[in-house]
Amino acid sequence: MFGKIAGFELRYQMKNPVFWVAAILFFLLAFTLAATPAFPLGGGNVHRNSPVALIRLQVSFSLFYMFVTTAFVANVVVRDDETGFGAIVRSTPITRFQYLIGRFTGAFLAAAVAWLAIPVAMWVATLMPWLDPDTLGPGMIGGYAYGLFVFGLPDVLVTAAIFFVAATLTRSMMWTYVCVVAVFLAWFIMIQIGSQRPEYGDWFGMFEPFGSAALARTVRYWSPAELNSLLPPLTGVLLINRLLWLAVAGGCLALAVNRYRFAEAGAKSGKADKEEAPPQIEPSAPLPDARHRSAASAQFRSRMTVEMKQVFRSPAFLVLLALGGLNTGLTLWFGRDVFGTPTLPLAHAVIPLLRASFFLFPVIIAIYYAGELVWRERDRRMHEIVDATPLPDWAYVVPKTVAVALVLISTLLFSIVVTFALNLAKGWPHFELGKYLVWYLLPMSVDMIAYAVLAVFVQSLSPNKYVGWGVMALFMVASIVLPLVGFSHNLYLFPQVPEEPLSEMNGAGIYWVGAWWFRLYWAAFCVILLVASHLLWRRGTETRLMPRLRRVPRRLKGSPGAVAGIALAVFVASGIWIFYNTNVLNSYRTSSDQEQFLADFEKKYLKYEKLPQPTVSKVTLNVALHPSRIDAVTRGSYALTNLTDAAIPEVHIRTDSDLAEARIGFPGARLKYEDKPFGYRIYTLDRPMQPGETRVMNFVTERRQRGFPNSGSDKRLVPNGTFLNNFEIAPIIGMNRSFLLNDRARRRRYGLPPELRPAKLEDPAAAARNYIGTGWTTSDITISTEADQIPIAPGKKLAETVANGRRTARFVSEVPILDFFSIQSARYAQKHRLYKGIDLAVYYHPTHSLNVDRMLNALQRGLDYYQANFGPYQFDQVRIIEFPNYAQFAQAFANTIPYSESIGFIGDTRDPDEIDGVTYVTAHELGHQYWAHQIVGADSQGSTMLSETLAQYSALMVMKHLYGEDQMRRFLKDELDTYLRARATEAVEEQPLVRVENQQYIHYNKGSLIMYLLQQRMGEAAVNRALRAVLGKYRLKGAPYPRSIELIDAFRREAKTPEDQALIADLFERITIYDLKTTTPTAVRRPDGKWDVTVPVDARKYYAAGKGEEKEARLQDRIEIGLFTAMPGRGKFARSNVVSIVRMPIHSGHQTYRFVTAVKPTHAGVDPYNFYIDRNSSDNVAPVS
Amino acid sequence: MLELADVSHVYPNGTRALDHVTLSIPRGMYGLLGPNGAGKSTLMRNVATLQTPTEGTIRFGDIDVIADPEKLRRTLGYLPQDFGVYPRVSAYDMLDHMAVLKGIASARERRTTVETLLNQTNLWGVRKKALAGFSGGMRQRFGIAQALIGNPELIIVDEPTAGLDPEERNRFLNLLAEIGENVVVILSTHIVEDVADLCPRMAVLANGRIQLEGAPLDLIQATRGRIWMKVIERGELDRYKERYELISTRLFAGRTVIHVLSDTDPGDGFASVEGGLEDVYFSTLSQSRRAA
Repeated sequence: MFGKIAGFELRYQMKNPVFWVAAILFFLLAFTLAATPAFPLGGGNVHRNSPVALIRLQVSFSLFYMFVTTAFVANVVVRDDETGFGAIVRSTPITRFQYLIGRFTGAFLAAAVAWLAIPVAMWVATLMPWLDPDTLGPGMIGGYAYGLFVFGLPDVLVTAAIFFVAATLTRSMMWTYVCVVAVFLAWFIMIQIGSQRPEYGDWFGMFEPFGSAALARTVRYWSPAELNSLLPPLTGVLLINRLLWLAVAGGCLALAVNRYRFAEAGAKSGKADKEEAPPQIEPSAPLPDARHRSAASAQFRSRMTVEMKQVFRSPAFLVLLALGGLNTGLTLWFGRDVFGTPTLPLAHAVIPLLRASFFLFPVIIAIYYAGELVWRERDRRMHEIVDATPLPDWAYVVPKTVAVALVLISTLLFSIVVTFALNLAKGWPHFELGKYLVWYLLPMSVDMIAYAVLAVFVQSLSPNKYVGWGVMALFMVASIVLPLVGFSHNLYLFPQVPEEPLSEMNGAGIYWVGAWWFRLYWAAFCVILLVASHLLWRRGTETRLMPRLRRVPRRLKGSPGAVAGIALAVFVASGIWIFYNTNVLNSYRTSSDQEQFLADFEKKYLKYEKLPQPTVSKVTLNVALHPSRIDAVTRGSYALTNLTDAAIPEVHIRTDSDLAEARIGFPGARLKYEDKPFGYRIYTLDRPMQPGETRVMNFVTERRQRGFPNSGSDKRLVPNGTFLNNFEIAPIIGMNRSFLLNDRARRRRYGLPPELRPAKLEDPAAAARNYIGTGWTTSDITISTEADQIPIAPGKKLAETVANGRRTARFVSEVPILDFFSIQSARYAQKHRLYKGIDLAVYYHPTHSLNVDRMLNALQRGLDYYQANFGPYQFDQVRIIEFPNYAQFAQAFANTIPYSESIGFIGDTRDPDEIDGVTYVTAHELGHQYWAHQIVGADSQGSTMLSETLAQYSALMVMKHLYGEDQMRRFLKDELDTYLRARATEAVEEQPLVRVENQQYIHYNKGSLIMYLLQQRMGEAAVNRALRAVLGKYRLKGAPYPRSIELIDAFRREAKTPEDQALIADLFERITIYDLKTTTPTAVRRPDGKWDVTVPVDARKYYAAGKGEEKEARLQDRIEIGLFTAMPGRGKFARSNVVSIVRMPIHSGHQTYRFVTAVKPTHAGVDPYNFYIDRNSSDNVAPVS
Repeated sequence: MLELADVSHVYPNGTRALDHVTLSIPRGMYGLLGPNGAGKSTLMRNVATLQTPTEGTIRFGDIDVIADPEKLRRTLGYLPQDFGVYPRVSAYDMLDHMAVLKGIASARERRTTVETLLNQTNLWGVRKKALAGFSGGMRQRFGIAQALIGNPELIIVDEPTAGLDPEERNRFLNLLAEIGENVVVILSTHIVEDVADLCPRMAVLANGRIQLEGAPLDLIQATRGRIWMKVIERGELDRYKERYELISTRLFAGRTVIHVLSDTDPGDGFASVEGGLEDVYFSTLSQSRRAA
């Protein structure tokens, strides 16, 4: 019986078009993603078809597939009620179990069979000839099978069971789909929070229904080698997650069987209405006649009212609104931290978050409601009555569209209300309402309504609601995929507009202009779509498209034609204007054009990389900035000096290819070669430059933007907050590797070698150049700008004058600086503090004063520490200069530190318990005044260790002395996590720190950990002595430049014990991974009142190769064992919670340490502050029992 | 008034629901009789502008219904055979909304319309209740009320009395008769009495064709002396079927009463009876079956 029912159900479902549509749709989706080289499957050294990549892709489909699964399983229950056949089926002697579970099994099997399309498509995709074979591995069958049996099918079962119970309890397709949307959004929210709160990773791993978080948790620290060859072990969080959700599925089915009733429940008895006397009307009084001409506006209003009521009173709307609010609330509450410091909820920072997090909601709502509203008369079987009234077709189309639009606007308004409520809760009662309206509500409404109009149009064409929804889903996928594969012009990507980055300094800049032209263009297109919907409206019982199409020409006469005509005119006119701006005034380049350009550039000119060239020994610039019209004219000259040992016959000069104009005058030289598109020139000197000789060249350049481009509008030269570096406005001497293609796969696609590696550490020739590619120079820079702005350049300000609405200032360097510097200009407020003869200054947007004193304090503390421990500071001033939100970094140039408004100026430092990211970043950049601006590494492996790692170390020491050693754990734990995660994305091979090849996760994150541990072990003073030694030798000197091994040698000279020598080798010269673990520490009270504490420790050490292969090595070291009265790194842990920390000998394997203490420790463990690189850093310390 | 010329309707699946129908329908009640699946609803929907016929023309007065459906809708009242309602909307609100859709813009006129119709259809007491909770009869009365809004010139009611109890049916037919004096009312039904009671003219539709058209009295008159009746045992039915042109059989008190059509006295114990409209209808159907 059971088998027969399940079999009937399976056959029934497989005849259902949903089955075939789903199978084909998901086959195409999976194939497209897996076969599109631009889609980031695998990545780096991880193959596209590595087991984990295959599993991940299957898991991500689980989420979308639940819409299909639901169609199968909900149909099982709902169809009997909808067709009215239920009464017949339920009056047979079938049992509830057979009826429900038999049918469920059949429906689930159908969903499972359709699911097979996904792994099959993924496999077929790997056979496609256009995929780069280097990105493909052997293709293990196990990866497909693991994905299928551990994730795909169980996920289908889990979602099937959950939505089956939803359908049995609600007996309504609509409510079931509301549940689906709810789960979808709840999942989305969960992932958002999960990504921001890694500390709850285990919980998310257990409870996230599809297993994607558990998978991510399991493989988060895997190296590329492991990702390519291993299947995730089915243990721990992953196993718990899978079993938990299978149990949930079982529970749901039991609940469904338990709660289902064959009989329909009667309505609850309510109060009987009082019978009222009818009004006195003459029985045969004539009814008023209909007068149609005057009724149009009343009809429109009345339709509006009905549509609105139907939407706003529907429970689904409230559910969606509540979920939307929840999503906004959680996103903002757990909002983005910068270096552990929360950000103030200012409009320009919050709105991009809102746009990103809230984008999905309105689009889903638009698509969902367009389907519901367009088909409502039909679904309710009211269409025959309503369609036979004289209601004009536009009075269907427009109210339905407006109703969807109002729903969207109300969800947007609600998100603003939630934002304001949260601002209050965060104690920030400032509601920049105007900004929310102009930057968020207005543009988002227009963009969202465009989706609504499209969805209404699609629904008015499609044969039923589900096809319409499917077409919209395909449209959404296409709008994500098309830009990835090079179709990126907004003129054909409905309803995209150029990006509109926001900044408090620069407002919406000039970016809104282009965006709103595009909005006008798309609005006109929407009107055309609306007229088309009106013309093609499905009226009466005819649903075929052809008869409706035949009516169109006749119906176009009159106002529809006029409206369409005007809209078409606006559409074409604005389209032409946009094209003129994006493709004539500016150049339109797809990302592949851009890549081709870079590849061609490299093929033509990289051969000149090592050609000896003169060095810029003096730079004179006169820059006329016109920020509000995006124009900068630079006149200048270089003194070029031949610092090599040989004569130089030719000089190679590059200019930024985006410059509108670049003229060069070179006395005594002849232009031998010029390549305008690439801005490459070669001058032959009439008389070769002899060693030590100096020549002068002059130049004039203009950087400007006219109109608006399709993308990439200038974010450097802007009306308020210009931040340009010298390479953007002045010529570059000689060829180097900056601005080339980086991505390995892309490089191969354009026929380039997959990577450009720096010179080996052992290559002595590399010391002749530094890695920045410029030498030491002196500067004389004059900047003029609009009178209300303050111009800033490196060097001492000699003069500042205001005349003719222009402010002009001249800056001259006192000490040699790198020929790589920036100029800035904005309407700044400024605060100065004279400290030991050095002018500390912050130039900031007038409303961004919150952290200015904190920055000045950090500069002061930094100078104190650096001058005392490293050596003298070389300038008379340090200036922090704010720049707009368009980039999130601070960058150190000689005595000027451009600092993004979003990372320090709006950091919320009011809570003293949060990590102080402002001080940290400031101290780091100040550190660079030594480590980059006093010594700069040779152009070989390890170069950035001398700048970035040492700047990290400098900042860590400032933080340590400010906040105490015991607070450092939180900070180091973040660094550890980032380092371990990033290893998996390594594209070439991981290097030990001494050979770092500009890999950020090594020179920043691993560098912090290593240097901190080193100063713990050898003592801060010894480390600083070593740094001083290297600094003293190379300070402000030209070639030969220092190499990382010279610093290692300095450390070795300071190391006192063989253990320290071994540690230096492990830390700097190898990739070393430790595994330190405390099992179950115990404390027993002694008769004398003291405590016997036992701490059992397991220890291992591994050496990893560049691609992650590991082998165990013998551990023989001295590592700290700590006893505490609180968990280190949590909450208010402080010095007073430390019972003892003792460094003890430790070796590979198991060992036990015993202590006697006066108080009972609550926590104990090995390496309690996570100084060592350990993949499981949370088991170092365990609670004492 | 309403002229259908050579109207055919073929559905996408090939079903020919109407086959060259030509009809001329004057003012007053017009009955459209036919068995299930005869094409009645298709005919009604074609007239009500909800479907466009595959070929043929439909004119109402000087309106070309196919070319200008908007114009006909301004003067049309339509009650479909089967319809649903919006959830969470009361009878009053829905009727008011329909009044707007039919073109009554003034709030005062709309109130008069809605209240009068609620009274006429005996829905006053439940006007504030949600339509979705109405019984079949109440819902049908609501359907009639909405069809009468705005004094339409053409009223199409498709199987209106199905599901009504005898009392409600009487009320309804009275209401229709009152209105039907000045406008065109097309009443489609498979219940012969509805037509017999109400309609001065009628047509029988079967297999998509008009089988018979005229005034019921004339049609009954034409059968006078041609209908014969006999009471037989059930077992004898097959024998009679072979021998006579059997137009109807029914049971009466356990025995079978048969009517046959014959121009002359068939003898064999048959007695002449006064034919009713039912005999006209059944004889037409049996002829059309034979032809098919």
